[in-house]
Amino acid sequence: MGAYAIKRFLTIVPVLIGISLIVFSFIHLIPGDPAVAMLGERATPQSVAEVRAQLGLDRPLYTQYFLYVGKVLRGDLGASILRGDPVLRDLVRRFPATVELATSAILIAILVGVPMGIISAVWRNSLVDGASRLIALTGVSMPIFWLGLMLAWFFGVVLGWLPTGFRLGTEVTLAPVTNFYILDSLLTRNPAALASSLRHLILPAVALSTIPMAVIARMTRASLLEVLSQDYIRTAESKGLPQQAVILRHAMRNALLPVMTVTGLQVGRLLAGAILTETIFSWPGIGLWIFESIQARDYPIVQGATLFIATIFVMVNLITDVLYAAVDPRIKYD
Amino acid sequence: MRGITRLSSLVVLTLLILMAGPAMAQSTFIFGAQGEPVDLDPAIITDGISSRITRQIYEGLTKYKGATTEVVPALAEKWTVSADGTVWTFILRRNVKFHDGTPFDASAVVWNFERWRFTKHPQHEDQIKAGKTFEYYEAQFGGFDDKSLITKVEAVNPTTVRITLKAPQGPFLANLAMFVFDIVSPKAVEQWGTAFSKHPVGTGPFKFVEWKVGQEVILEANKDYWDKANAPKVQRVIVRNIKDSSQRLAALKAGEIHGMEGVNPDDVKVVRADPNLQIILRPTNTTGYVALNYKVKEFQDKRVRQAIAHAINKKGIVDALYGGTGMVANQFQPPSLWGNNKDLKDFEYNPQRSRDLLKEAGFGQGLKDITWEDGRKEPLQFWYMPVSRPYYPNPKEIAEAMAADLAKAGITVQLQTTDWAVYLDKRKNGQLPLYMLGWTGDNGDPDNFVCYFFCNPGASREGFYANQQLAEVLLQAQKLTDQPKRAELYRRAEQMIHDDVARIFIANNQPPLAFLKKVKGYVANPTGSEFFNTVSLQ
Repeated sequence: MGAYAIKRFLTIVPVLIGISLIVFSFIHLIPGDPAVAMLGERATPQSVAEVRAQLGLDRPLYTQYFLYVGKVLRGDLGASILRGDPVLRDLVRRFPATVELATSAILIAILVGVPMGIISAVWRNSLVDGASRLIALTGVSMPIFWLGLMLAWFFGVVLGWLPTGFRLGTEVTLAPVTNFYILDSLLTRNPAALASSLRHLILPAVALSTIPMAVIARMTRASLLEVLSQDYIRTAESKGLPQQAVILRHAMRNALLPVMTVTGLQVGRLLAGAILTETIFSWPGIGLWIFESIQARDYPIVQGATLFIATIFVMVNLITDVLYAAVDPRIKYD
Repeated sequence: MRGITRLSSLVVLTLLILMAGPAMAQSTFIFGAQGEPVDLDPAIITDGISSRITRQIYEGLTKYKGATTEVVPALAEKWTVSADGTVWTFILRRNVKFHDGTPFDASAVVWNFERWRFTKHPQHEDQIKAGKTFEYYEAQFGGFDDKSLITKVEAVNPTTVRITLKAPQGPFLANLAMFVFDIVSPKAVEQWGTAFSKHPVGTGPFKFVEWKVGQEVILEANKDYWDKANAPKVQRVIVRNIKDSSQRLAALKAGEIHGMEGVNPDDVKVVRADPNLQIILRPTNTTGYVALNYKVKEFQDKRVRQAIAHAINKKGIVDALYGGTGMVANQFQPPSLWGNNKDLKDFEYNPQRSRDLLKEAGFGQGLKDITWEDGRKEPLQFWYMPVSRPYYPNPKEIAEAMAADLAKAGITVQLQTTDWAVYLDKRKNGQLPLYMLGWTGDNGDPDNFVCYFFCNPGASREGFYANQQLAEVLLQAQKLTDQPKRAELYRRAEQMIHDDVARIFIANNQPPLAFLKKVKGYVANPTGSEFFNTVSLQ
């Protein structure tokens, strides 16, 4: 188990190098001069040259890359071209918002998706199954930005129940401690801020949860169906165990393994989905930040944030794999 | 036990508030901006999102009056200019203090000018090292150090500043009213260095409170504001960053914000139909044009240029694609500018006339391919911008409409676009044969509109258009300080541009802003940033 974890850990090193290389070259392959893009229509040749020199854009590409990697390893992700702020500092400041959103979304996805999958599997081919499969299919197919806008419009504008965006209302004040607003509200015993941050969290979290929810529901259904057809389940049933015990105690334990892997993989999707969700709901996390920085061609931010997200994704998958090995002793690293 | 009671009361309270929803404080004006400010140091910013905020915090020596670009006194009470137009003497307002309590006086003004002008000034140099430039100072006053048009700025006494110029500059007062030349607290800049941009201190009606990164900037009314008659009518201002325009509108409709910029042309009708909302149009200060490349042999023939001008149905485009906020343009300067030539007669929309002109020019079969001066032949490409700008709110649709119009007159174009940075690059290098672009004025002065484009004959950036006579007229107007005389020259310049069909002006736009009906007193300025001290909520 320990050896497996170490070996598995070592495999991510080339992956991370690959990611840094892709992130770095990808942005340089995009046509156009970032200095011109930043300075806009009124740029003078002189100011363009100045900006290029300041950014090191006039150096050879490989030099730029090695300098970059060296700095990254020392924890320096550079500074925003536009604002001059250190990327790492803003990353740390914004990441909690994204984590708060993504965690809520994945919780909703699991809490709704798993029961939906179980119901579907148990009452296979019934009306309930059909409905839940339809919901799952819709969830997978619906573009987040469209769903987000519809949710904001319906619950925010038409019904007026929930805010259309943002993390906190303008009428409440909250002194950030960790930048996880729900946690901060609890820490500072601020019920108004807690209520406001929960109200603000609902719509974006629901919008972001639809795809993972649908995937989890489908996976739970498929996996449970497979397990239910196995001999030991028949044995359990024939022993006269109540159906609830058979499903929850015997079948689910095995059926949940693939669901776990899929859930781990959804984290990556969630971070990608966060770019859209955060943009639509003005959620000040990493997604919105990346979106704005891509538009402004703020190289260091796009590089830093993408590298960070990719690393998180790789780590989450690593943890999922190791957990999987812990749960299922048959798994070995060959 | 006590812990549980506390926890449960917290939960109950939370639920109660959750059910109730927020009540918006009436004394806070919340504005939805299209993005986050870049910086709050007025001297180094160039964008409208930042300047909308800095305009509340700082003031300049002069300012634009209300919804116009007329220059009126601000921190300078009055001024005089020497007969030769090179020495300006400003009398400053007394008893004005920066938000940090330091006095606003002549030495503060001198300090600000020196910071802008001298590259070796410590608070100039540190900005350059941090990758920032004093771009507008360079653009408006010809450069830094010895290149600067401003050669001397002296404090004659605590309330008098004398500024000496190398040569007279017509738009001098209009330049000083630009947001970049707002006066900042020298003490605060010295204290914060480049971080001043996050700790702004000026003399304006609102004081900076907090910038929540990625979210909003919060300002509060300056209780010690010198201009009691124009003291702020709301206690707080919050400018929220709402990137997505649909979400901005949703937030406005839900009453979460009071006003917003960047209304989609399609949404103007929606806002107008809503009894709780109102549209305020920003007076036009923006012109979209079609430019021709004079290295293309066909375009060197004036009849071909005229044919294109007669082929485009500007009115049709403005009516269909500007959401009711556009106006047909017949010259470069929008009608709001004092150099606009009211007597100018536009090319009428007449596809038949276009065809006749093309025939005269030897293109009886229509125009489909072009030849560059270096001999390259290629199909005629018409380039449209990949991004929306106030002058072209939806460039692709407008380009398609123009292409259809041109086709009716026998001119076949292939529509092309590319990444925005590449587009600007190609334009700068004179590689686009026929393209769309435009201009939004900075300071209401005709010089800012026309001279930027036509004072350098033959520039690749302007498609190699070379009209020496026109440049001379414009440079002459730039050096005069007498407005009627300058206006006459700008009118003549517009006529020359028109007669030569140097380029084709399509539309002026009045960018729409949307507000809740209860917002009163919002006065949109043509330059794009206005003062919020006139705003009240009812």
